[in-house]
Amino acid sequence: MLELRKDIFADERDDNLNEIGKGTQRQDMLGHVTGTSSYFNDHKLQGMLHLKVVRSTQSHARIRRIDTTEAERSAGVRRIIRGADVPVNLNTLLSLINFGKDDEPSLAVDKVRYKGEPIVAIVADSEREAFEAVAKVKIDYEPLPAVFDVEDALKPGAPVVNETYPKNTFTYHETYDHQKLRFGDADAALATADHVLEQRYQMSPIEHAPTETNGAIAAPDTNGRYLVYTSTQALFFSVDTCAKILDVPSNTFHFIGGTVGGGFGGKVDTLTEPLAILGAMLTGRPVRYVFGREEEMQYGPPRGAERIYIKDGVMRDGRIVARKIRAYFDSGAYTRLSSYAAVKCAAHLPGPYTIPNVYGDVYCVFTNRTPATAMRGFGVTAMDFAIECQMDKLAHLVNMDPMEFRILNAYRDGDMKAHRREAKNTALIECVQVAAEKAKWPLREEFKRASSRKDGGGSRAVIPPTPTDSSRARPTAPAQQRTSYDRLPPTVTREPPREPPPPAPPPPPSPRPTAPSHGATRFSSVFGTRRR
Amino acid sequence: MAVTVKTFASASEAAGALSSDRTARYLGGGTLVMRALNEGDVSISTVVRAQDQALTRIDASAPRITLGAGVTFARVLAERDLAFLHAPARSIGGPAVRNMGTVGGNLFAPNPYGDFTVALLALDATVAVQGGFGSRDIPIEEFLQARERQAGTLVLSVSCTRPASSEAFRYRKIARIKPKGGSVMTLAAHLPISGGRIAGARIALGSMAPTQIRARAAERALEGRSLDAATIAAAASAAIEGTSPSDNALGSAWYRREVVGVHLRRLLSGQE
Ligand SMILES: Cc1cc2nc3c(=O)[nH]c(=O)nc-3n(C[C@H](O)[C@H](O)[C@H](O)COP(=O)(O)OP(=O)(O)OC[C@H]3O[C@@H](n4cnc5c(N)ncnc54)[C@H](O)[C@@H]3O)c2cc1C
Repeated sequence: MLELRKDIFADERDDNLNEIGKGTQRQDMLGHVTGTSSYFNDHKLQGMLHLKVVRSTQSHARIRRIDTTEAERSAGVRRIIRGADVPVNLNTLLSLINFGKDDEPSLAVDKVRYKGEPIVAIVADSEREAFEAVAKVKIDYEPLPAVFDVEDALKPGAPVVNETYPKNTFTYHETYDHQKLRFGDADAALATADHVLEQRYQMSPIEHAPTETNGAIAAPDTNGRYLVYTSTQALFFSVDTCAKILDVPSNTFHFIGGTVGGGFGGKVDTLTEPLAILGAMLTGRPVRYVFGREEEMQYGPPRGAERIYIKDGVMRDGRIVARKIRAYFDSGAYTRLSSYAAVKCAAHLPGPYTIPNVYGDVYCVFTNRTPATAMRGFGVTAMDFAIECQMDKLAHLVNMDPMEFRILNAYRDGDMKAHRREAKNTALIECVQVAAEKAKWPLREEFKRASSRKDGGGSRAVIPPTPTDSSRARPTAPAQQRTSYDRLPPTVTREPPREPPPPAPPPPPSPRPTAPSHGATRFSSVFGTRRR
Repeated sequence: MAVTVKTFASASEAAGALSSDRTARYLGGGTLVMRALNEGDVSISTVVRAQDQALTRIDASAPRITLGAGVTFARVLAERDLAFLHAPARSIGGPAVRNMGTVGGNLFAPNPYGDFTVALLALDATVAVQGGFGSRDIPIEEFLQARERQAGTLVLSVSCTRPASSEAFRYRKIARIKPKGGSVMTLAAHLPISGGRIAGARIALGSMAPTQIRARAAERALEGRSLDAATIAAAASAAIEGTSPSDNALGSAWYRREVVGVHLRRLLSGQE
């Protein structure tokens, strides 16, 4: 049962809001529970054609030749669409808000970068005829070495996955190959910590597995407009993306969506609409393009797999004094939304804990795998998983109760976060207390009495001296890496003591204020991007 | 070419249609055939169906039982006389798949499927098939070895002898998703006991080779012995012999080889 603890932070909350804190029924709920909601695929239009796609059988290959002659002669085929037929055959979703370069073709032209990449689209009278024609397209590949591991992709000499990003890393702010967080001197603090624990966490890609697969039906409307029924989760992103790819004004389209048969992030990428509309433009007929289940599983984007290294320094009394994190997001062959996930991840380090020395590097890496995308809490979920596993291990290491260990290290109001913002309205302590109470988990009295509004600030509000990276050698590979914590005794290392930290450098220049600009507001606070 | 559906009243007509058309595929419950068609398998152009009552008959009263190829797993589960086959039937898919999926279709289901067939293999079942030239009975092992070449033959039924006791027949499916995932591996053992000794041991494995196979070395280790710890250990360490598993999303070939002995030991020692 839903329980709102309105007594906590009552003075900080406005209870006169119209929706928040109230039980409001979703507008589409009645349709769903009575089975009357209509989805994009419930529209069967007169004269509707079907689009199917020839997909790459190779993970990385140059395309030598595409032969569609037999497919063209196949029964029921109305139109064969190649890369050259796509008006603007390069796109990435977030370029609409000036974040990232266009790197993904709608139909591959000279190279394929992952198994399943679309190469040729076929529009035919029936699905069956489209499938038959697809089977007749011959593609001559010249296989290229492929890379499937994020760290391998960063090694010198690794195959270049995506020529838009020749170093296999996304470029942030047109300059940086990763997202960085520096706060205090983590290396120095690690050297004086009682215990150091380094762990590696590897996530798997996860399929969203919606009941309704990705798809769209596009139909010519009057006045040169196109009506599009779509499963998209991001209708306006989708309209703008189609306008860009098809090089027409966005008011050419009338998109009808809103009822999504399961999305969870897997339907933000505008994968089917551009080709469905292009098919309708080229044939003058309604065109339906829907992923099969296998296409959805294999070629629809998954949650990206993350690899995360965390190295923590903790004192015998349970205080975490340093946290170093390196994270690699496997973007697959194209950007889609992993670049943004990495930003969210960096904004989330080091978790909801007050740690005086934090060092974080987050990379968005290209590999020859299916492009990854958004999925519920992306950028944060995996990192939270890793951080919270790490917290349990650290608690074990210093012989503390894991709940109490979290309360001890939790942010309190007035503390300085590693992002140099004062923590406000923190509530982790209260959350842990309530969780412990519900789970009948005993907490000692002093931890029951702890509050996120007490004992914060003061020395905990100080921005520590932070050496810049250029003032020291780059960090070397991790000293120890272990994955099976349970089988081995905890590794405890003491690094040799270091020189005292150098004097505080001048504070970094405050970021240039970003001009408020239409469309960029949602993300600009995180990205600090400017409109070009 | 559109897909044509041909429905026949008798099994022999269906068999004739099947054997005369290379693009024809028999439709049992359709759990795999319809999936293939929906996903664009253009090798199928004709779907053959038969409404013959004989295909859905269950004969479970005699010591030797016979199941029509069109009998679904839901019907096996509803039949009290088939209790010894309930564990394999229940291990297949979810309710929707068990309501549609048939015993005959299971004989053709590729890895990681074909669990019911593992049980039938351990029970030395016989498969009744009808080709272009009439019907005949084939031992199931022979049927499976030639499975790739069975296209064009219709399975009419399978039959096997009821195990003497519930102890004598054991079944275990290893899956990563419970209760209805594809199989990492499937094991079935028939251990008839005569005078305190095993006589005619049969161990069958699924997902350990391109088709279901018998673990002959493990059978030899059991034969003529009593089921004690030493015998079980010998059978478990022989389990891997003759297997040729492959990698898939559910498990690697290496993993399957590593654990097959462990699972056989647990099966034979009655461990959960
Ligand atoms: C979601 C899902 C989960 C599944 N889980 C399992 C599982 O856990 N374990 C498992 O073993 N299987 C599983 N299966 C596979 C399958 O459903 C079963 O193996 C089932 O027994 C297949 O029977 P069917 O009648 O539906 O076969 P169909 O799809 O009708 O046919 C399958 C093949 O057998 C041929 N065939 C069918 N009947 C005959 C016949 N009488 N004569 C000649 N050829 C015939 C068909 O032509 C076709 O080639 C699963 C399938 C799905 C879709």
